Amino acid sequence: MILPDTPLKSLSAAVLVAAGGLAAAPAMADDFYSGKTIEMVVPFGEGGATYVAAKFLEPFLEKHLPGNPQVNVRTRPGGGSILGANWFQQNAEPDGETILFTTSSTSNPYVLGMEEVEYDLAAMRPAYSLPFGAVIYVSPRTGIETPTDLHSPDMPLIYGGIAAAASDLPVLLAFELLDLDLRAVLGFDGRGPARLAFERGETNIDFQFTPAYMSQVVDMVEAGSAVPIMTGGSVGDDGVLSARDLAFPDYPSVYEVYEELHGEPPSGVEWDAFQAIGATTFNFGLTAYLPEGTPDEVIEIFEQTIAAINDDPDYQEQSQDAIGGYDLLPASAVTDSLSEALQPSDAVRDYLRTLLSEKYDVEL
Amino acid sequence: MLENIVSALDILFQPARLLALFVGMLAGMVFGMLPGLGGVAAVSILLPFIYLMDGYAGLAMLLGAISVIYTSDTITSVLLGAPGSPASAPTAIEGHALAKQGKAALALGVGFLASMVGGLFGALILSVAIPIAGPLVLALGTPELFMFALVGLCFAASMVSRDIALGLAAACFGILLGVVGAAPAAANYRFIFGQSYLMDGLSLPIVALGLFAVAELISMVASGGGIAGKPMALGKWGESFREFWRSRWLVCRASVIGIFGGFVPAVGASASTWIAYGHAMSTSKDKRRFGKGEIRGVASAEGANNATVISDLVPTMLFSVPGGPAAAIFLGALFSFGFYPGPRMVSESPDLMYMIVWSVALASVLGAAICFAVTPYIARLTRVNFALIAAPLLLIMVAGAYQGTQTFGDILALLVLGIVGWLMKNAGIPRAPVLVGFVLATPMEQYFWLTTQIHGFTWLTRPGVLIIASLIAIPLVLNAVRWLRRRRTAVPQTETAVPGEEPPGHDSGIVLFTALLMVAAFGYALVEMLGFRPNARLMPSLGIVPGLLLSLYVLGRQLFRLHRQGRVANLASRRELPILGGILSYGLAMWLIGFNLATPLLLGWLLLGCARMRWHTALLYGLAVYAVAQGMFTLMRLTPPRGTLLDLPMPW
Repeated sequence: MILPDTPLKSLSAAVLVAAGGLAAAPAMADDFYSGKTIEMVVPFGEGGATYVAAKFLEPFLEKHLPGNPQVNVRTRPGGGSILGANWFQQNAEPDGETILFTTSSTSNPYVLGMEEVEYDLAAMRPAYSLPFGAVIYVSPRTGIETPTDLHSPDMPLIYGGIAAAASDLPVLLAFELLDLDLRAVLGFDGRGPARLAFERGETNIDFQFTPAYMSQVVDMVEAGSAVPIMTGGSVGDDGVLSARDLAFPDYPSVYEVYEELHGEPPSGVEWDAFQAIGATTFNFGLTAYLPEGTPDEVIEIFEQTIAAINDDPDYQEQSQDAIGGYDLLPASAVTDSLSEALQPSDAVRDYLRTLLSEKYDVEL
Repeated sequence: MLENIVSALDILFQPARLLALFVGMLAGMVFGMLPGLGGVAAVSILLPFIYLMDGYAGLAMLLGAISVIYTSDTITSVLLGAPGSPASAPTAIEGHALAKQGKAALALGVGFLASMVGGLFGALILSVAIPIAGPLVLALGTPELFMFALVGLCFAASMVSRDIALGLAAACFGILLGVVGAAPAAANYRFIFGQSYLMDGLSLPIVALGLFAVAELISMVASGGGIAGKPMALGKWGESFREFWRSRWLVCRASVIGIFGGFVPAVGASASTWIAYGHAMSTSKDKRRFGKGEIRGVASAEGANNATVISDLVPTMLFSVPGGPAAAIFLGALFSFGFYPGPRMVSESPDLMYMIVWSVALASVLGAAICFAVTPYIARLTRVNFALIAAPLLLIMVAGAYQGTQTFGDILALLVLGIVGWLMKNAGIPRAPVLVGFVLATPMEQYFWLTTQIHGFTWLTRPGVLIIASLIAIPLVLNAVRWLRRRRTAVPQTETAVPGEEPPGHDSGIVLFTALLMVAAFGYALVEMLGFRPNARLMPSLGIVPGLLLSLYVLGRQLFRLHRQGRVANLASRRELPILGGILSYGLAMWLIGFNLATPLLLGWLLLGCARMRWHTALLYGLAVYAVAQGMFTLMRLTPPRGTLLDLPMPW
């Protein structure tokens, strides 16, 4: 899985060259982390997807960061990740030794401006991201074979999810964008129980993130009990979610499906909302944040480290099973697009808040 | 298949892996014995260490711990009367009553053997996961899951105590505690008072620790003697083997009930144990001994809870949907070692599957054997002055609670629930229904909501729902009818006997105060609830409305009793107030000057003030306990609570 040769990548190369040129004494960076310990804060419980991904990355960071620091994954669960992120905001020093590694569960409440949020994600400095793609699939009983059939199913569509303001948000926004007629049943314990309900025939449209899709749904597709329809997509040259998911180049993105249905690329507030929330959920699915005010030197160290990890044959071999085979995105490929997604226009924010409170009964 | 069974045994029987399994077992046994700490704590403490081993050894270590938790917590439940989890509550009720009659060995022996059988049944169902267990899991739809939870709660509430009003009020209070946090049906946060700490709701270990362990600790320190008061006679093991053999079929049936509990995510052992207990009751001819030390109660509960914790692994392995919290961490470990659970993994790497089956089976048998071996030594501890044991126990509880979110909210929740537990204990309100109501509130609400959303009201006619309802609810209905009939004939006596008579051992002032507090809590909750969104109101109202009525009834009854007696009688619990005050001061001190400085003060007070040790032995013992507590925090990778005023950082 290789990052397409985008201007962003060339930009990152340029930054690297510049960084190399500017840092007159590379020896300084060489032992920056020597004898130090990095605490990678995961605001979820042990054993969850974020924890597993953090543990997967731990040895690669220890191997490739200059000075080979010890990396400790530390869980701080609670408040749907808000407690851990608040703790990070209040306690982490901008010395590159504390990292917040988290998902859209932390960014969505921030974007929505929820009361409990005490952290300023947009002010933090992303160190790297790991894309976390997702595939939307339906039951063959619906008669849907291609995205164009989405508006003429043989039976009413029922979607099973967790909570509208949490990880279901981008998919619900995609359904809004495509103007699908479906019933969303929210309140499941997690994506696993929601998938079990799909397997039992209680729901008939579902989505799974890449690792779970690979281990659970691929078999169902082969057995003919699930039909893949589309993916959330990935951030393309234009900085928005217009490209195909790199792990599923055969399936169209939501962007393409809209284009196919309407004959024109998506636009308007519905698209902007999907783009903002979808980018933080899928393309920047798992993002490592450093505290506000972290010096450029640390960011540059991570830039080089991430490139080295992506080139590590061990990483390429193991990442396929563990995390869906995505390359890590360095800060240069993350910062601008993520910052834009974290700070949508007031119109988008109002649209999101109105949709959530009126259609999904969410108290904000 | 046969060669896989043998080659899996080959995989497991490497010295390093057997050692890992054994270490995991020891950790699981210790955590099972410590009140309030259970499978989740054991597995999450072991988790960082498994990364130092190969995949099979790491998984064996976790499995060792998971398999013996419900075996060893029998010891605490029987000797201390404080269950480690809601799933051991029946054991604590029946087993502790037996222990008080000098039959601890009978309760423990039957408990260990039943646990072992439960574990072996769990291993058996794992070994036929693909052909049998998988289809069974898929056959249980959302309506069936709801039915299972509902039936579990009914059983727990209906057989709690002789005073049915108090038992039901306690279950309602449990539901109230359980609905704190995010509502599953509508995005509405309930009773969080603007605190992000409460957004995820209260955590089970903290509720169990507070209600049971803190309250027991206070009264035991206050009583000044050992746990048992007088040397506790264990009795002979022989009788337990005979009794176990007599109830062998009951244990097998309880294990099968337990297996189904494992297929129901989130509901699991708390429901299946009570259903098995209810089954034991409905198949016993003499029901009067239940609640006063009935060995069949222990046998059924222990068979069921161990079977559940193992069969939790079936949905974990087949669908990567964990059946319980410990299984969730195990799932994470599987991912980390590059095993991606699913039907494909189970059929493609049968070695792994049978390695798991063997680990579980071996740990179940060895665990029971070790429990038999260590019990005599642990029983001796019950004669030691409790203030000495209280010191390390309290520190362990603080560490266990603080593991939750590592904020001071954990400590505060522990102390507040400790006061609640202490009040309930002294008012004679049973605490087991609180725990069951707490655990089942969320899954019941969630499954009910999903069921009605997906199926409308047709779910009531689903065959699975009818089977669960008829298999389990019919004896319940029959019992209720029988009970009502008996009650109708007995009404004249009870009407005259109950109101004037104070139940022995309960502080009438505390009863009054607790009843007032419950009326206030339910009343406030009712007002608050009216502001919730309609979909978020259902479950709270099921707890709050009957809870308010019941607590008003209890309050009125108590006022009437006091009026008849003309005085506040039996102030027994007043002498425990200094201890309660001391523990609350420790909490306050921790908030002000941090764990590292407050703990020496606590140790000084407990060892010199309460246990009256000589100062130099107190110093030595105190230092040892302090070192162990610090080691515990280090092991769990936690920084002890810091003070807001000043703080003493530790050198590491």
